[in-house]
Amino acid sequence: MNLGISATEFVSQAKEGALSVEEFVAKTLDRIKKIDEKIHAFITVDSQNALDKAKAIDKKIKSKEKTGICFGMPISLKDNICTAGLKTTCASKMLENFVAPYDATVTSRLKSEDAIILGKVNLDEFAMGSTTEFSYFGPTKNPWNPEYVPGGSSGGSGASVAALECLASLGSDTGGSVRSPASFCSVVGLKPTYGLISRYGLVSYANSIEQIGPVAKTVEDVAFLLNIISGHDVHDNTTVNHGHVDYVKDIKAGVSGKKIGIISQMIGDGIDKEVASATTSAISKLQDLGAECIPVSLDAVNHSVAAYYTIASAEASSNLSRYDNLRYGFDFSTEGYEFKAFISKARSNFGPEVTRRMLLGAFVLSAGYYGKYYLKAQKVRTMIKAQLDEAFKKVDYLISPTMPILPFKVGEKIDDPLKLYLTDINTVTANLSGIPAISVPFSMSSSGLPIGIQLFANSFQEKELLQAAHALQETSKLPEMSL
Amino acid sequence: MTKIGLEIHCQLTKLASKLFCSCKAEYRNLEPNSNICPVCAGLPGSLPLLNKKAVEKAAMISLALGCKIPGKIGFFRKNYFYPDLPKNFQITQYNAYGPTSIGSDGKMEIEGKEIRIRRIQLEEDPGRLVYEGTSEKTMITLVDYNRAGTPLVEIVTEPDFETPKQVRKFLNVLADLVENIGVSDPYLEGAMRVDGNISEGDGNRVEIKNVGSFSDIEKALLFEITRQQSLVERGIEVQAETRHWDEARRITVSSRSKEEEQDYRYLPEADIPIVLIGNESLDKISTQMPESIVARKERYVKKYGMPAQVADVLSSDRFYSDLFDKSHNEKNAKEVSNIITTDLMGFADTREKKLELKITSKHISDLADSILENKLTRNSGKLALQEMVKTGKALTDVISSLDLGHVSDAGSIEKIIDEVFKEEEKAVAEAKQNPDTINYLVGKVMKKTKGKADPATTLDILRKKLSV
Amino acid sequence: MVDRKEIEHLGDLVKVELKEPEKYIKQVEQILNYFDSLDKVDFHSDDILRTEVAAENLRDDVHEPCGDSLIEHLKKDQNNFIRAPKMV
Repeated sequence: MNLGISATEFVSQAKEGALSVEEFVAKTLDRIKKIDEKIHAFITVDSQNALDKAKAIDKKIKSKEKTGICFGMPISLKDNICTAGLKTTCASKMLENFVAPYDATVTSRLKSEDAIILGKVNLDEFAMGSTTEFSYFGPTKNPWNPEYVPGGSSGGSGASVAALECLASLGSDTGGSVRSPASFCSVVGLKPTYGLISRYGLVSYANSIEQIGPVAKTVEDVAFLLNIISGHDVHDNTTVNHGHVDYVKDIKAGVSGKKIGIISQMIGDGIDKEVASATTSAISKLQDLGAECIPVSLDAVNHSVAAYYTIASAEASSNLSRYDNLRYGFDFSTEGYEFKAFISKARSNFGPEVTRRMLLGAFVLSAGYYGKYYLKAQKVRTMIKAQLDEAFKKVDYLISPTMPILPFKVGEKIDDPLKLYLTDINTVTANLSGIPAISVPFSMSSSGLPIGIQLFANSFQEKELLQAAHALQETSKLPEMSL
Repeated sequence: MTKIGLEIHCQLTKLASKLFCSCKAEYRNLEPNSNICPVCAGLPGSLPLLNKKAVEKAAMISLALGCKIPGKIGFFRKNYFYPDLPKNFQITQYNAYGPTSIGSDGKMEIEGKEIRIRRIQLEEDPGRLVYEGTSEKTMITLVDYNRAGTPLVEIVTEPDFETPKQVRKFLNVLADLVENIGVSDPYLEGAMRVDGNISEGDGNRVEIKNVGSFSDIEKALLFEITRQQSLVERGIEVQAETRHWDEARRITVSSRSKEEEQDYRYLPEADIPIVLIGNESLDKISTQMPESIVARKERYVKKYGMPAQVADVLSSDRFYSDLFDKSHNEKNAKEVSNIITTDLMGFADTREKKLELKITSKHISDLADSILENKLTRNSGKLALQEMVKTGKALTDVISSLDLGHVSDAGSIEKIIDEVFKEEEKAVAEAKQNPDTINYLVGKVMKKTKGKADPATTLDILRKKLSV
Repeated sequence: MVDRKEIEHLGDLVKVELKEPEKYIKQVEQILNYFDSLDKVDFHSDDILRTEVAAENLRDDVHEPCGDSLIEHLKKDQNNFIRAPKMV
C-alpha cells in the first residue's frame, strides 16, 4: 500500500472501494509509530478513534451509503486548532491539559465530510516562531534531513505531510507559518485571503492577520481541502461571504497568456545563491508555459518585517492575556497566592519567544507609543496593499522564493531572534495585505534540502492562484521521501 | 465653585442576549456559571459576535441624549488583569484615535442647567466576584461569569454639575428616559451604576467609585464638598485620588491604590469589524423611538388639558403613561389621569408592585366612566380601585360585593342627614354659625353611607337644612 | 532606552514573572531599534485596513443556550464557582 499517493488519488481509490480505508489508516498509524520519534511531528495521536472511524467509513462505502467527500482521508491538525475531546496545547505548558469543549469550524467541516483527524501536530509555542524549535514539547525535525529545521510555526504540518504520516494537514499562517514549513519540507502550503477561512476555534495569536491554511503534497489536494474549509461562518464576523467557488474545477487551466511580476525586493542580495538560481529556473519554466514574467518593485516590502512584528507582538500581548490558569490550563494551585503574584507565576511558564513578543507588544502599545509604532505599522499595511493593487493592475500574479535561505540546522539561529525575524521578509507581505500566497515545492539544493517557490494573487483570487501553482508544480519532479 | 462630572454604566436589560454571544443578558438569580459559553468565558479560539439590537438600543440612547452618531463605529480592547475579566481585557469603545463610539457631544437640560454629554460607548460587563467568608481574612474570591458579557452603555458627562441635587435630578431623569425608550429597566439591581468626580475651585479632582444608589451618590458628593472645603480652609491641598463611599460610616474613604494609574494599552478589537451605521439605519431607529417624556407631557397638557403637575408625574412613568394611553377616551381622559396619579400610583409605586397589579385598562376606563356618570362617588371609587388592584375582579362585581353603589336620590340622603343632625347637635349649631365647618357634617354623611352619598347633592341638602 | 527596570515594568504589564530579566534587555532593545525604522517611512495616506460590516448584518439578538454545560469542562469548585486568589 503506497502511503505516498496524493490525497486526491486516495479519495478516488477509496470511493471506488479500490483500497480499504481502515488498512490505509492502520498503515499510516504504523508509520507514525515507526518514524515519528525521528522527526517528532505529532503531539497527540488519536489512534483508536481514527481506526474506529475508518472502519465505519469502509462500511458506509461498501453499503453505498452517502459518504463525505474525504472518504476517510487521514489528516493532521496543527495543535492550535480546537478539537473537541482531544487536547489542544498550542505547544505550551500554559495549555498542557486543555481539552476544548468544542470543535473549530474547520474541524467540524472536515469531520462532516468524513475526514479522519489522526492527531494534533507540533508548532512553535502559540504559533510564534519560524522553525518549530520553540515548542514546549521539543522541536520537530525536517524529514528530508532530521538535523535541519522543518520551518515554522506549522512545522508539524509540513513534516507530517512530507513524511507520509498523513495525507494532508491544516496549519495556520500569521507571518509565513504555513508557507515556510511547506517550502522547507517540500510540500504545498497555502495562506488563503484573510477572511476566507473561519478562525473560530483557531487559538488567536495575531487576529488581524492570521489564517488557517491547508498543507498537502499537491496543489490539487490543497484545492480539494479549500473547497471544504472555506466560506462564510456565522461564528466569525471577519469571514466574508464570497459566494461558492469550486477551487478544484479547471485547476489545469495553465498560465498561458498570463503576466507574472517578479518582486525585486524579495530576490535581493541577501538570498542564498541556490535559492536565487531555483527562482530563475522556475521563472523560465513558467515562461515556457506561455507566461510573461516582468520585474516589479514593491518598496513597501522593505518595511514589512518591522510592521509585521510590531502588529503581531502587540496583538499577541493582548490575545494571550486570557491564560491565567484560573479556568483551564495546567496543574498549579492558587493556594497561598495573591492574584497578581499567582498569575505572574503561572504565566512565567510561557517560553522565551512568546515572552519576548509579549514584552515587545506591551511596549509598543504602552501609553505614548501607540502612534510611533502600532499606528505606523498599520499604515505600512495600507501602503503595501496599495502598492500590490497597483502591481495587480499590470500583472496577474507575483512570484518570489518562499524563503530567502535554505533550511538550516536545528539550534543554528535560535539565539538571534532578530535574525530569525528577518527570514520572514518574503512571506509577511501577504499576511499584512491579506492577499493569498502559496508555496510550491520546486527543487532540492545540492545538499538535498528543499526549495519552494511562492506565488501571490490579489484578494480572493485563490482559484486563479491555484491554477498557476498547479502549472508550476507540474514542471518539477522531486525525489521520494526516503525516511 | 463646585464641578461634578458623572460616569454612568447602564445595562441594556431589555436585550435577550449578551453583547458578544448568545447567552442570556438577564443573569440575575441563576445558578453560578450556568449562563456561559466559550465566548463569554474567554476560552481559547472563541470570537466575539456583536449583538445587532445592542447597537440599535445604544444608538437610541445617543439620539435621546442629543449625541452625534458616527457613520462607522469601532471597538477597542482595554487591557488589564482582574479575576472578573475572563479575557483579561474588556471589549469597549475608545475615542482617543477618532470619534468611533456610539455617541458623542450630546446634552441634557436639568432645571435650566445644560449638562454636556462627552461620550456614550458600548462595552461588556465583567463577571461577578463573591468573597468567601469575610473579605478581611479570606484569600479566595469566587468568580461567577454569568454576568460577563452583559451589554453596558457607559455615559460620560462633562463636569458641568454644580450641586449634588442637580446630579440626583439628572440621574432620575436619565433613569426615566432609558426606561421610557425601552432599552433598560434601571431599577433592577445593578442595572444602573454611577461613578462621580468632583473638584472645588482650582483644586484637584477626586473620583468617587462603588456607590450603591442614586441617593448614596448625592450623599457622597455632599460629604466630599464638605471634606474638600474644610481642607481648603485649613490650607491643605486636596489630593487627586480615588475614594469610595463607606455606607456604614457615611463618609468617603480613600481607596488603596489598587486603582493606581493603569496603562490599558488600548488597541483595536480586530475580531469585530468596523460597523457601518447608514442613514437608513438611523432613520429606522429614529422612527422606532417612542415618544419622549417631554413630548408626552406636552401632549397631555395640550390635548387633555391635564394640569402641568399631573402631566409631569404621569409622563415620566412609562408603565403608567402606557396604561393611561390604553385606558382613556376623549371624554374620560382627565378622570383616568386623576385615578392613576392620585390613587393608583400610591397603591403600586415599586417595580414589584407594578408587576403584581391585576388591574387592566378596562378596569380603569370602567371606573372613570362610572364616576363621570355618577354611578359611583370618588370616595367609593378609591375603595373599588383598591379591591380591583388586589383581586382583578370586574368593576360591577366589586361594586356589588362591596356595596358601593352611588346614593344620589335626595330622599335617601335627606334621611341620612336627619340622622346625622340628631347625633351631632353641637356640630349643627356650629355649622349654622360658621358655614366653613359644614364639611364635618358632609364627612359624617359620607361615613354613614360608606362614601356612597353623592357629595354635591349632600352639600346642597345640608345647606338648605341649615339655611346657610 | 531599554534597561532592567523597563523590562521589569513590561513584565508587570503583561503579568509574567521574569526569572532572568537581563536576558531580555539586549534582544528587546535590538528589536525595538529595528522597529524604529518605521519612523523613516513616508506615508501618503493615513488610512487603516479594516474589515467592515453593515449594522444590519450583525448577529440577531436571540438567546441560545450553550449546548453543553460548559462549567463541567473548567476548573470549578463543588459549587460551580471558579476559585481565584483575591487581588490585594
